[in-house]
Formats: sequence, C-alpha cells, structure tokens
Amino acid sequence: MGSTELEGLTWIAVHGRGVLHTAQGSQIALTLSQAGINAGREAYYYMRYDDSPERVQLPLIYYSVLGKPSIDVVLPEEVQPIGEIFNAVAVLDSSMLVHQTSQRALMLDGSKPDCALVVNTSMKPEQVLKLVKKYNCAQDWNGRIITVRSSRYHTNLVYGVVGALTKALDGEITLENVVDSMEATGNKVDALDAVRQSHEDAEPMPVSLKAAECEPFKTKSKLLEAYRSAPSIQSDPWDRAIYMQLKQRAAEAPTYESRTGSMPRWEVLAPGLIEFNQRPGERNIGFKTSFARTFRPVRDPKLCVDCKLCHIFCPDGAVDFNPIRIDYEYCKGCGVCASVCGPKAIFMIHELKALEDIDEQEFLTLRKALIEYAY
Amino acid sequence: MSSVIVKAEPKTVMKRQIWTGARAVAEAVRMADVDVIAAYPIRPYTGIMNSLATMIAGGEFHAEYVVCDSEHSQFEVVKHASAVGARTFVGSSGTGLVYGAEAVVVTALGQLPVVGVVGCRALDDPGNFGMEWNDALMFRDIGWLMSWAKDPQEALDMVLVAYRISENPSVMLPHFVALDGATITHVASPVTTPAKEHVAEFLPPYKPRNPLDPRAEPISKAMHIAPSLIGPEQRKGVDAAMKKAKEEVIPEAWRLWADLTGRRYPPFLEAKHLEDSECVLLTMGAYSKDIDYVIERQRRRNRKIGSVRLRYFRPFPDDELREMLKGVKAVGVVDFSYSLGSPHHGSVLYNEVRAALYDLKDRPLAMSFIFAGGREMTISELEGACEALTQTARSGRIEKPVRWPTIRGEDV
Repeated sequence: MGSTELEGLTWIAVHGRGVLHTAQGSQIALTLSQAGINAGREAYYYMRYDDSPERVQLPLIYYSVLGKPSIDVVLPEEVQPIGEIFNAVAVLDSSMLVHQTSQRALMLDGSKPDCALVVNTSMKPEQVLKLVKKYNCAQDWNGRIITVRSSRYHTNLVYGVVGALTKALDGEITLENVVDSMEATGNKVDALDAVRQSHEDAEPMPVSLKAAECEPFKTKSKLLEAYRSAPSIQSDPWDRAIYMQLKQRAAEAPTYESRTGSMPRWEVLAPGLIEFNQRPGERNIGFKTSFARTFRPVRDPKLCVDCKLCHIFCPDGAVDFNPIRIDYEYCKGCGVCASVCGPKAIFMIHELKALEDIDEQEFLTLRKALIEYAY
Repeated sequence: MSSVIVKAEPKTVMKRQIWTGARAVAEAVRMADVDVIAAYPIRPYTGIMNSLATMIAGGEFHAEYVVCDSEHSQFEVVKHASAVGARTFVGSSGTGLVYGAEAVVVTALGQLPVVGVVGCRALDDPGNFGMEWNDALMFRDIGWLMSWAKDPQEALDMVLVAYRISENPSVMLPHFVALDGATITHVASPVTTPAKEHVAEFLPPYKPRNPLDPRAEPISKAMHIAPSLIGPEQRKGVDAAMKKAKEEVIPEAWRLWADLTGRRYPPFLEAKHLEDSECVLLTMGAYSKDIDYVIERQRRRNRKIGSVRLRYFRPFPDDELREMLKGVKAVGVVDFSYSLGSPHHGSVLYNEVRAALYDLKDRPLAMSFIFAGGREMTISELEGACEALTQTARSGRIEKPVRWPTIRGEDV
C-alpha cells in the first residue's frame, strides 16, 4: 500500500504515557512541525484521537507529519493499515518497549524499513535492540537506534528527545531548522543548548534485522495461520458461545488487519450493540490493561501480614482477596498498594527490571513528576 | 374475501366513546399494558399525561408512573427501562422534546423499542402553542419510526400498532406517533376501542432477547467503540432494521390490525381521486380532512384534484409515492414545517417529496405551501393553493414553488 502522496511524507510517531507525556509529546511534535515549516514544508501534528491518557501511565501517541512540500491527503487516525510510513519512532518511557502500544500494536508496526528508533533511556543501543527483537518488531528492519538520556540535557525531556530525533531524521529537517524555529517561538537559551548538545551526542547505531529473527514475527505467523485457517464464525446468529469465540480471537489478533477481520459482520450484531460479559467468577476475555505499566508491584510474602489493605485500596481490583495475589493482567502500576502497605511488603520495580533484569535509570515517577512539573 | 374477523363477535366488546386524542392515546397505552411511563408536562401532550395519571389513580391499570424533573430525564428513564425489558411510554411537545434530544437520539441508535407520542407544537422562540411539525421532524434521520395520525381514532390505533412494530425482534426501533397539537390532542371525536381479546392476540408481552438484567445473562450495552472495529456495522444494523420495518413489519402489522378490528388503513399512503387527477395535494395528519373537503368542492367545479395523505414519514414510502404520482402534473405539499435555508428555501416534507420523486422520468412539478408559525389554516387558503396548483399544471411551469399562504405582508 502507499500512494505517491504518502511516500513523500515524513512521518514521526512519539509514544508516551499519561498527562505529562501528553504535554511533552505535544511539544515534541509541535517543535518538529515548526522546524518542518521552517524548512519550507507543510506540517501537521496531532495526538491519536482514541487515546485518553488522563489517567497516569496510560499510553498515547503523537504524530508529526511533514509534507514534501505539501500534504495532499487527509491523515488517518489508525495509521497501521496505510502501510509503512514512519521515518522515526520516539519512545519517551522505555517501559513501553515491553508492552503493546496504545493502538494494541507493536512499536515498529507501520514503520519504514529504514526507520529510526529513538528511546529516552539509560540503556545502551544494544540492549534496546534485544528488546526490539523480543517485543516490538515483526518485519525486516534496516534502520538505526538512538538512545538519549534526556535528563542530562534538561529537566524537560522534550529537548533531549528533539535533539536525538533531529539526528535520526537525517536531513529531512536540519538542526538549524529546529533551533531557528525554537528561537523564533521564544524558547530560552537553556532549551536551545540542550537540543544542540543532544544532537551532537546522539550516535545512531545501525541495525540490520530480519523479520524471522524477531519473536513477534514468529508468534504473529502462528496466530495469523490460525486466524486464516479458523472456520468462519461470521454467519451464525448471535449467541453467547459464538460471541466469546470471536472475542478470544480478536484478543489474540497480532495485526490490525486480523483484529479488524475478527470483528463480526453487521448481520450477526445483536441490535443495540449488546456485548456478552463474563459471568460471576469468570474472567473477561481480551481486556488486559497491563500495557499501562511503567512499574509493577511485587509482594514479598515473608513480610506480608495479610491485612488485605492492598486489596481494598487497589483502584482496579487487581489484587485478589484470598490469597492476596496481584493480577498482572489488569494492574496498571499506580502504586497505591505499595503506598498503603504497612510492613512495606509491596514495592514497585520497573517493568524492565521485572521482565528483563535491566536497571532503567531514566524514568519519571509520579511523585517526581508532581514535584518537578506540578501535574 | 377469506374468512377473517371483520365483524365483532358478541363476546368481544368494542366500545364507542367521544374522546380527545390525548384520552384515546392514554387508552391505547392502558390496553398495551405498558410497564413504565415517564411523564413531564408540556402542552399539548400534557392531556395524555393527565389521562394516564387519572387512570392509574383510579385503579384502571398499574404502571410505574415516573414524573421526571425534565424531558431530558423523561426520555432517559424510558430508554433505560426499555433496555432492562420494560414496555415503555413517553411523550412530549415542541421545545420540551428538543430538551430530551440527547436521550432521543441514543434511544434510536441503541435500538430500544420505546413508543412515544409527540403533540406537535411550534418550537421556541417565541413560545407558541400553535401547531408545527418541526419538533418531531428534527429527529428524522436517526432511526425513529415516525407516523402521523389524522384523528383520535387513528391515534389510538397507531399507538397500539406501534408497539407491535417496534418490539418486533428484527426491527427493535423506537416509534413516534405524531399528533397535530390541539387539533387532535384537544378535540374530541368518536373513537371505537378495540376489544381486549383483539389486543391480546395482536400484542404479545415484550420479551427482548438480551435485556440488561443481571439476573439474566450478564451483558453490556452500547459501550464505547472504535470506528475502525465496529462503526459502520452498527449503523448498518439500524439501517437494516428500518428497511425491514418498511418492507415487512409495518404492512404486516396493519394487515393484522385490519383483520382483527375491521378498521382497514393502507399502511403508508391514503389516496383519493388519483385515477383522474392532474393535480394532487399531499399532507400528513389532521388537516388532510380539510384538504379532502376542499378537493370535493373543487371537483364540483370540474377541477381534477386529488389528495394523498402520508401516514408514515419514517420509513418514507418513496417507491409507493412514485407509483401513485406517476402521470400527475403537479403536486402541492401542504406542509406544517419549515426548513430554513434548504433547497428552494423550502420545507421538510416538501424536500423529502421532491427527493422521492426525483427518479421519475416525467416527474410532477412540486410546490410547497408552508403553514408556518402555527397559524390555523383556513379553507380559503387551501382553495388558493388549489388555484396555484392548477395554474402550475396548466402552464407546465411553476411561478413560485414555495409559498407561505398565511403570511400577512409580502411572501418574499
């Protein structure tokens, strides 16, 4: 897929979490768009409309699109189906690398074969590549990885990321475009210096990855095979059993196409959009919210006194009552359980530490964000 | 004809009363054994609310009668009661109906078989008890079935038939029965009530397949969706339901009603003198009687004019209308609505009729006579309309397609 108009566009995706990154993602996308205009191109930017990151840590995506020189198409919200479009993907919170995006897609879905991945992290590019192979890529990728420790350049992570992104965009817009447009819009010296320094320090690591080397590709192939060979359950009249089968298939669908393809035809929809729920005691199929986590609570059973406060206070009911057990499919990592635990038996560890034993240093806790940014 | 029940048998009692439209509708609601009634007073619908309250207080039937704080709550209450599995009744007029708009829209798009009566009343500003159709017509696009009665008798029949149509599992759409405010709601005329046995046969209890009831199968209803996943499919479901209503359910319901009660209405369009008419006056509701009276007078003066009364506005019977008006030279729409800024600065019914007739090879010339502002129509104005229509048919061109016959001053 892809027409002449779409091929000429420079498209950047910025992934973040929560209201803080909503503001900062907006600032990054705006800065790039202004730089694009400075470079003589038409530029748009927008947040993915379906995202609602009012809640702390819910993921969101910002898009910045630069024309060549103009943009002649209406821009889609669901970008996956229109093919390979991203020149650069930026990730503001590295824990997003072990989860699906807000679009329930892989981080590199929809990216061009030579796309650049910019990650705000203390990890080394090699570590990022390992994560990408395991969690984020299901296509051939001959691009590059840039890691940036944005807190080194400024308390506002925007400037470090912009500097790295400008390097990643490799001439589509230049550092001059970015700095000039930032100056013209009243940015102070410290911000401009941060961008310049980050740009200088950024060291793109070239990547040459085959789809077959990536875990998601293997899983995806299996699931797609199963999806293609599954008997059609589209033409039967609406009933609960069939509905639950559909729901299961849609939940496992690895691609945008297979997910939308798993949706029922209109003829089998119950009038008034009825959806069957789980019965008491059953689990709800296909509604996992673990993608919202930066940190996960871990309980030390030796310290726990079974007071049940974590169960009572969990806003999502993600702590089972008896025995006390954290349900990692629904836990969103808010930290309330750790906060109310008397004996401090629950502590929060970074997702990357829990899943990959990586000590991420570049993260923003809610507490820090409240202090720094008063959100 | 076959051996259908046309005459009442001794056991089945059909009584004849002189009732206002409001009282007649209340009787229909009682006979339909409605479970939940949400009420909020606004003239001219208030009479219905009063009649129902009187009946319930007098022990004539039992229903949950909820007097809400506003029309907005009123329509919300019946929407949710219907989702849970109750048979519901609601009503409003004019600006009140618009106040409930949020719930009105959701009721249709959520496919809930609520039956409501609109006492058509002019919209504010200014406050006006006069009759205009715009309040009901405002909701013409979203999936409500809409029908216009011509007298209290038809109002009663339409409300009862509405339940059968709405609750049909392949339809499941809400239904407005629109009554010309004051003219039908507050004028008493003879009404024959159907027998209890007829209604019992005609209207089985309301049993939705998937009610929002935790004692039944736990379900969610009308949750937030992503358009990429299910957007058009949901809309198509409502579209298909409307088509089913038009093709099958509405004609079948009126056929059965005719067999049971002997009152035979053509489901969609009632026509007079079409065999030899070169001009036709088209309208909905009570003023069709005035039109029929006027065209008789015109025919005595050798003017070949006929009339068409539209019973259902949604679904709009465009194919049947094309068939009926084929070969007619001019059609004049007697329209109690306005559609400011629409094509030809016309009116709602006029634009719909024009759209319906577009596909005819030799389409009739179309005129609109807008009776706006709620001012009562007089016979002389109707005769003027006939004059203009005949003139148009004779000359083959329309001098001024859209006219406001009741206006004082220049009709610019």
